[in-house]
Order: sequence, then structure tokens, then C-alpha cells
Amino acid sequence: MAKTILAIDDSTSIRQMVAFTLKSAGYSVIEAADGQEGLAKANANAGAINLVLTDQNMPVMDGLTLIKTLRGLPQFVTIPILMLTTESSDAMKMQGKAAGATGWLVKPFDPHKLLEVVKKVIG
Amino acid sequence: MTEHGFEEVLSPHLYFDREHNIEAAKILPGEYYATGRDMVLVTVLGSCVCACIRDRTSGIGGMNHFMLPESGQDRSNPLGESARYGTYAMEILINQLLKMGAKRSNFEAKVFGGASVLRGFTVNNVGERNAEFVQQFLKTEKITIAAQDLLNIFPRKVYYFPATGLVRVKNLKQVHNDTIISREAEYNTRLHYSKLEGDVELFG
Repeated sequence: MAKTILAIDDSTSIRQMVAFTLKSAGYSVIEAADGQEGLAKANANAGAINLVLTDQNMPVMDGLTLIKTLRGLPQFVTIPILMLTTESSDAMKMQGKAAGATGWLVKPFDPHKLLEVVKKVIG
Repeated sequence: MTEHGFEEVLSPHLYFDREHNIEAAKILPGEYYATGRDMVLVTVLGSCVCACIRDRTSGIGGMNHFMLPESGQDRSNPLGESARYGTYAMEILINQLLKMGAKRSNFEAKVFGGASVLRGFTVNNVGERNAEFVQQFLKTEKITIAAQDLLNIFPRKVYYFPATGLVRVKNLKQVHNDTIISREAEYNTRLHYSKLEGDVELFG
């Protein structure tokens, strides 16, 4: 069965690019437009999600808040969470690490590199 | 902080605009600026485009100034380097606005530029590609374009007042355009030689 990735970004353009890239490699993708919608979809599909890929700067709920919230839920304690963001500072990366992120990818993203990282993390 | 040739940077060029009697920021190719203050954002465009985006309610707004890299074969590929870079240039401005408290649902945009002024690049219609990209991006993101002045052959000087959304555009018909062209050509070269991708780090 295809592994499922929850991809969260407020930019429709980015979501389309990310979903296209992941689907082309055989992954199944669930999309959400902000942290809160991401959290709702994570809860609704808990058990089926193998990886969460989230943006940082989004309306309603940002990526770091989402990560902290997910890490507080028993079903998401060990699920890998990758950040895909324009934020490139070490300070932000450290905040991500402390919040429980598995890794940090800075935009603009290279589709091959994204797949390489995803494969490395969930196979 | 990592240093890349392609990174969009916050404009450091602040000054006082005597003509409009207001604080001003000058935006050069590859730069952007966002503000909640009563200011004017000024840029000069040849084949580059700028998107002026503001929150209609709070008046928080900003401007970017970019062009798509000339990456040859992937021009029409929605996942190609050009599209990914353009999306990045737009997103970094939008993110800055969100961080300052602007609401995405209140956004309106005004877009300018994309003239055919770059000698030697005219065959590839650089200006037209830039103009098409910014219009398509905003359509995909469901951000209304409230005004636009795109294409044509003259460089433009754009004054954008984010607090009110007012814009003044001057067509630079009589001006010696070498500075504009050489700045854009230098920016184009910088993009051409940069690897247009961000860093990746897995936390151990």
C-alpha cells in the first residue's frame, strides 16, 4: 500500500508542486491549507499518515505550533515531520528541532532532493 | 544564516522621499520590502515584474521585484526551476506580510513590469514570461489583481503606497536606460549561476 503524506502549505501553488512531486513517486497525499486544517486532517487520518510535511508561515496556525501540538498526541509522537519553508535561519531551525521536527528543508525546493529526503525518512 | 546568490533580501535602501514628503524604500531586483507604516515603496522595472500586495483592512503591504531565471529547457514545466523560483519570490513577500499581521483573505495585488527592454533577451520574451507568471500565480492563489500595467516596451518607475493602495507609474520614455538594463542583466546572471534550491538538514 502506498505510504501517505500529509502536506500542509497555505500557498496553492506550492501544494500543487509538492503533491505532484510526491504522487509521481507513488506516495499518497492529503493536503491542507493551514496548521489547523492540517491538525484536523491529521486527527481524521491518524494511523494512515506516515509523514507530515509542513510550511511554517501560514494563517490560523503556523508550522511550529502544529508540530508542538502533533507531538503532544500519542499517535504522532514518532511520525516523522519535515518542515518545508522559506525560513532559513539557524535560530528557526533550532526552534524546529526543539518543537520535534525531524528535518528542515528550505525553499525553493528541488523536487529530486525532496523525494530523496522523504525516501530516506519513510522509505 | 546561509548565503545564496538567489536569496530574496529585504531592501536595505531606506530614504526620505522629498517629492511625496514620506519615508521611502527603494526595491532593487531580487529584493522585497513589507511595512505597516505610511511609506512609499519605489522601484524601477524593465523586463522584471513587481507584485504589490496589501491587506485591504490593515494597510500592511509590500512589494517585490523579480524575474524568472532563464533556465532554458524547463520554461513551460510547472515544476521547473523558473516556476519554483518565481513561486519562492512571491511567497517570501507573502510570508513577510503574514508575519507582520496581514491576513491572506484580505490581500489585493497590483502588478507591474514585464516590458521588452532587455537587449539580447527579447527573442525569449523575458518580460512576457514574467508578466504571465505573476498573473497566473495570483490567480492560483486566489489573490485579486486590483490593477496592472504590464508588457509594452518602456521601463517603468513605480511608486506604491501600501497604506492606501495608491500607485503612481511613470513610463520612462526619455531616460537613458543602461542602468536599468545592466542591473537586470546582472540579476539574471546571478540567478543563472546560482543553484536555485534551499538547504536540507535532517536532525539526528
